[in-house]
Amino acid sequence: MFLVTEIIALSLFAMSFDLIYGFTGMLSLGHATFFGTGSYIFTLSILHWQSNLWVSLLLAIIGSAIIAWVIGFFAVRARGTNFIVITIIFSLVIFYLSFYYKSITGGDDGLPLKVPDLGLGFLSISIHDNPMANYYLVLAIVSLCYLFYWRLIASPMGRLFLAIKSNEERTQYIGFNTLKYRLISFVISGAFSGLSGALYSMTTHYTNNKLLHWTTSVDVVVWTIVGGAGTLIGPIMGAWIFTFFREFISFHFKQYPIVIGMVLIFFIIFVPQGILGYLLGLIRRERK
Amino acid sequence: MGIEVHLFMNMMNGLVWGLIIALIALGLVLIFGLIKILNISHGEFYMLGAIFGWYLIQYTQNFWLALVLSPLLVAAIGLFIEWGILRPTEDKPIKTLIVTLGISLILQYTVYWFYGGSPQRIVEPFQYHLTLFGSGYSGYRIFVAILSMAVIALLGLFLQKTRIGLWIRAVKQDQEMAIAVGIPTKKVIMITFALGSFLAALGGILAAPIFSVDFLMGLEILPTAFMVVIIGGPGNLMGALGASILIAELEGISSVFVSPTISRVLSLVLMSIVLLKRPEGIFSRARR
Repeated sequence: MFLVTEIIALSLFAMSFDLIYGFTGMLSLGHATFFGTGSYIFTLSILHWQSNLWVSLLLAIIGSAIIAWVIGFFAVRARGTNFIVITIIFSLVIFYLSFYYKSITGGDDGLPLKVPDLGLGFLSISIHDNPMANYYLVLAIVSLCYLFYWRLIASPMGRLFLAIKSNEERTQYIGFNTLKYRLISFVISGAFSGLSGALYSMTTHYTNNKLLHWTTSVDVVVWTIVGGAGTLIGPIMGAWIFTFFREFISFHFKQYPIVIGMVLIFFIIFVPQGILGYLLGLIRRERK
Repeated sequence: MGIEVHLFMNMMNGLVWGLIIALIALGLVLIFGLIKILNISHGEFYMLGAIFGWYLIQYTQNFWLALVLSPLLVAAIGLFIEWGILRPTEDKPIKTLIVTLGISLILQYTVYWFYGGSPQRIVEPFQYHLTLFGSGYSGYRIFVAILSMAVIALLGLFLQKTRIGLWIRAVKQDQEMAIAVGIPTKKVIMITFALGSFLAALGGILAAPIFSVDFLMGLEILPTAFMVVIIGGPGNLMGALGASILIAELEGISSVFVSPTISRVLSLVLMSIVLLKRPEGIFSRARR
């Protein structure tokens, strides 16, 4: 049950990454920063201010949106490879900072968390000891976010993101400020990655700086590419496949990232559209 | 120890470290200049250089043999990776970047498999200490500085005076023209990749006695090497050399007054400013 809830929270992370990579065409290799920030803000606000569950979730979204705005401000000015480099550098430096301020972040050991009760006006439900309530809460929030993303990519702004991906220069010629829209997509993605991090901590009852680490950023890239970038559902599939894979194999074979690296290279070279993209392509060919 | 001695020590250390970073970054910039690919696995070649060095020293007890053999071994691996894995995607920089990410995972965890997770030390090959300003300074570090400078000078001569160097510069300038005049472009790219791996591995084994050897050391060097590429200007070799020493000195001098992590953040700030004001790097002549 915990694992399923965990993966649902991670699905939101995967979708958020897909928004900037699959739709706007920006590869960020530092997305763990927002995931980790969301998780930390959620945990710290509960630990230090005993804040309400809703308030903490909201703070996590706002906090990671601000961080995403600051990093994005520099990153979207760079294109192609430079963009990637900047996301890497910022995320690695923030990871070092989390090590340095161990007294706040708990460093490697992380921070345990007692999740406050969920207040719904007239009744309050315990989330901490009730996996089912936790599951439904996470499922509801992530479903809402999915609907939001679904609406977003169908909206004019979503079309614009796709236009930027296929040809940024031409989009500028038509008269759009592409920098602004790239930043918007980056901030939305960062904010929801933060929410995803908060939901993840709510489920696992703790946070540590591994969530900020480079490997978390790499994970979400792998899910998205193997599942199928630009489909929203594909990255979710990727998250399910790889999280289960890791859960079951990591007991027997600690060096499983070797396998992940190989799968990643295989997909990039032979199936660049990912599993779902490949299946959709098959269906389309059948119809013709 | 007075503050001026402390300052002097850190400046010396900064110089030595800067020259090691230059070795690594020059390889990165060479490859980037040629095929516009940011090689994320470049840090892994640095790590492999140190790891092979450690093994060779365990078996032969001879540092000098390891110093020569280990970079050659890594160059062979680099040759194989370029030829076997990178070539199919080389015309699409973002794809290749993700492939190098996969390679990075594979190399890291293969080393982890055989070598284990705990850091090891290599003893300095000679224990000579110079007396500078009334305190001892490791002779080995002076040796590292001199050797690095010699290698960088040799690299410059190689690029300017030999036929292959000429080819490398030609491919860098215009790949299609180079093919048209009969330069074996594929071979040149392969050689450059091997050369870059060689330089990174040399940096790795030279740095090994100063720091310690573990399977994640490549990841630690990565942000610094990338910052050098951005500050020095992508594809600019002299810029990379200048930026390496600049960053290392900045971190070295500022760490007298503040903690190393803060000085890391300072160089991040420097990079962000450079990126906004001079996206082509601070050492390039302003040209449009």
